[in-house]
Amino acid sequence: MFAPSGLKIAESVPLNRARTEPAVVRWLLIATALLFLGFFLLTPLIVIFAEALQKGFALYLESFKDPEAWAAIRLTLLTAAIAVPLNLVFGVAAAWAIAKFNFVGKNVLTTLIDLPFAVSPVISGMIFVLLFGMQGWLGPWLQEHEIKIIFAVPGIVLATIFVTFPFVARELIPLMQAQGTEEEEAAIVLGASGWQTFFRITVPNIKWGLLYGVILCNARAMGEFGAVSVVSGHIRGLTNTMPLHVEILYNEYNFVAAFAVASLLALLALVTLAAKRFVEWKSHQPSVGQR
Amino acid sequence: MVLKQKSILPGFGLALGFTLFYLSFIVLIPLSTLFLRTATLSWGQFWEIITAPRALASYRLSLGASLIAALLNVVFGLLVAWVLVRYSFPGKRIVDGLVDLPFALPTAVGGIALTTIYSGKGWIGQYLEPLGIKVAYAPLGVVVALTFIGLPFVVRTVQPVLEDFHPEFEEAATTLGANRLQIFLRVIFPTLMPALLTGFAMAFARALGEYGSVVFISGNMPMRTEITPLLIMTKLEQFDYAGATALAVVMLAVSFLLLLAINLLQWWSRRRLAAL
Amino acid sequence: MSIEIRRVTKQFGDFAALKNIDLTVNTGELVALLGPSGSGKTTLLRIMAGLETPDSGEILFHGENATDRSVRDRHVGFVFQHYALFKHMTVFENVAFGLRVRPRSNRPSNEEIRAKVHSLLQLVQLDRMESNYPSQLSGGQRQRVALARALAVEPKMLLLDEPFGALDAKIRQELRLWLRRLHDELHITSVFVTHDQEEALEVADRIVVMNEGRIEQVGTPEEVYDHPVNPFVYHFLGNVNLFHSRVGEGRVKIGPLEIDAPEHAAAQDTPAVAYVRPHDIEIERHKNGQPAIAALIQHIQSVGPVVRLQLNRQDTGQMIEAELSKERYRELGLKAGEVVFIKPRHWTVYQGEGI
Repeated sequence: MFAPSGLKIAESVPLNRARTEPAVVRWLLIATALLFLGFFLLTPLIVIFAEALQKGFALYLESFKDPEAWAAIRLTLLTAAIAVPLNLVFGVAAAWAIAKFNFVGKNVLTTLIDLPFAVSPVISGMIFVLLFGMQGWLGPWLQEHEIKIIFAVPGIVLATIFVTFPFVARELIPLMQAQGTEEEEAAIVLGASGWQTFFRITVPNIKWGLLYGVILCNARAMGEFGAVSVVSGHIRGLTNTMPLHVEILYNEYNFVAAFAVASLLALLALVTLAAKRFVEWKSHQPSVGQR
Repeated sequence: MVLKQKSILPGFGLALGFTLFYLSFIVLIPLSTLFLRTATLSWGQFWEIITAPRALASYRLSLGASLIAALLNVVFGLLVAWVLVRYSFPGKRIVDGLVDLPFALPTAVGGIALTTIYSGKGWIGQYLEPLGIKVAYAPLGVVVALTFIGLPFVVRTVQPVLEDFHPEFEEAATTLGANRLQIFLRVIFPTLMPALLTGFAMAFARALGEYGSVVFISGNMPMRTEITPLLIMTKLEQFDYAGATALAVVMLAVSFLLLLAINLLQWWSRRRLAAL
Repeated sequence: MSIEIRRVTKQFGDFAALKNIDLTVNTGELVALLGPSGSGKTTLLRIMAGLETPDSGEILFHGENATDRSVRDRHVGFVFQHYALFKHMTVFENVAFGLRVRPRSNRPSNEEIRAKVHSLLQLVQLDRMESNYPSQLSGGQRQRVALARALAVEPKMLLLDEPFGALDAKIRQELRLWLRRLHDELHITSVFVTHDQEEALEVADRIVVMNEGRIEQVGTPEEVYDHPVNPFVYHFLGNVNLFHSRVGEGRVKIGPLEIDAPEHAAAQDTPAVAYVRPHDIEIERHKNGQPAIAALIQHIQSVGPVVRLQLNRQDTGQMIEAELSKERYRELGLKAGEVVFIKPRHWTVYQGEGI
């Protein structure tokens, strides 16, 4: 299962004798680390596909004929399609303000942007119930106007936006800070307008960081469970996202179907990891030919 | 709050205006409802809710399991980071990429996978059960789930520090007569300390709030395997908003303290590294 | 186009970067802003470009008030210290950028842009590098691309921030002379910032010496080098020996010597310092009956056309630096450890304790 490119021992890392341990110690440490990762990472990953396929490939495919599974997939895609672009625009705006300008309160703002990461997913969903739920502040007014947010799609989207809020911004802020403002200043001196400067100079310089943030943001948006679970109301075929659908199927002891949907999410995770790697590799390439 | 120095780059007003608007509507206003909701409770009521036996039991489990999980991650995270940076072995790059799996895998999926493995009939559970070790539907299961989701934090904070560690320090120590263990304990480990602490705090904070992976494996028995986020969830489902809010405020307070600690740690480690 | 700076002040937080600056740069001139870091020279340059706004004061272009004119409307060419080349664009696209972003109404056609960029790349001798990316160029080449890019928009003036700061010594030397030639060809009003006095002395028509947000002296290279108005300028423009003493009735006593200082005729036994450049120290083997200071040769550095001596004053123990031509050095036949007699040829006396 290992790529042949990895088959070289003690070549890529030139360590002299002063900097490494006896071979026995080395291999013992490697073995322990791999054993740990095997138990905690690899086994869960394998078990997902093993369980999904335990009754054969036909039954695996059968799981996706369920219209409720399709509804869950559609809702998950819709949620991500709203949350990711919004957080992308926010991330760019926040990074532009924070990285390119000096103003009072900048550090406070940067900390506030990270806030959703410090909040438990359950609480992230709950605050929207407190705001828009039947017993919430705006609940009675919303009911009067027949607007449904909680236990409906808007609530799911809002909770997802909240939990994925910082992803793009926190990738872009340090990147744009490190790049400074000289190139933008040069463009302005040469007569470029604000938007010309942004699209022709800034965007090409941050595109890999942007993509990185979007990949992480998307993975979380599609996979969020706790926050969405609070606001969804678990109405089958209507307000179930893929992770919630997995939960329902699992709790009904419909393991094959549960792991079949889970396997799609696991594939998404693997694609995310690969894409993340690719972007990391790409952004470390010299800028030659990055057009 | 905002006072900026004149700059020739355009778009400051638009960018900051949108940032503040979006931040307020998505984060600040919803979060503030939590505190305003709590204000409708008297101190006595608030205290009664947050010190109820079931709540106290949930804190014990949440804090205890998170602490053990974070400590496990410090030990194995350091080992994994060390092995990935210092040694070569087949498949290293794949292993390196896989470390981030808990970040990318939806927590519910991780939860059902771990439950399946560690239940009485599972791949690993079937060997542990005869030994009297119960993982799934027991407090140990919570530790396993929290170790899983916190795994990348320590690895990813320690790894860059280890990569930037200048060989000259070790070479200097060797020429001064230190052996490998001494070098590790006296030269390398102190340098890694801030990163280790930061990784620990991050893994701990993440574990405290975790919900998705734990609900499946813990069995959710009140007083025994019920973590605080789950207790909040239960209260919400029973429309006990006041109770849920009070517990949420306690959790948020702890999270913010941890966030503060992480920021301080990062500031400290930056200063220490700069001093080198 | 001429640039006039009137009573310009700029503050960054608690730090006063510029204090009441007045300066005129004449049309077609090549002016150096010279000073140590923190002297405000880069801030002044960025204010001319419009990259910074002065807190008070005015900037006039060709007699017209341009203080509030936006950067885009100033038509300046600015060369950044680290060039600020667009990393994701080829050399060609970098130079073409200023033409491509013009509003459609006065944007040149693609052929015109091509022709213009090619002629500029020929001017900076980089016509064969047009499809390279900045990362594939050497420091000196990047510098020339930055210059070509700035010139592409046909600026009315050229502003350069530490143009040679990031280059190796040898390439620095070449580019300096090249910039001087280019200026003589184009005659565009140019201002450059530098902290290297040699660079300023070699390239500029006029030098503006700055320190702590103020202009200390403005003048031709000869004026500022030979007639510095104060100790700071004296120090900054080259090595100098200080003789601490007292001035009274226009005369200063240095050991056995007495030198004239007619500009201090009114002073009565006031502390003063005589400043003497190393090449203004005269060295003799014998006293020849005239008063002179005895000094021991400690070290001789005789590589190159100029020989540098480190001397130790026999009476006070003060270290003195002297420079003399190779011919004179051979004529005297000096060796380390010998005692010689020195006296200053030219000097400037300032009252006070000196710096």
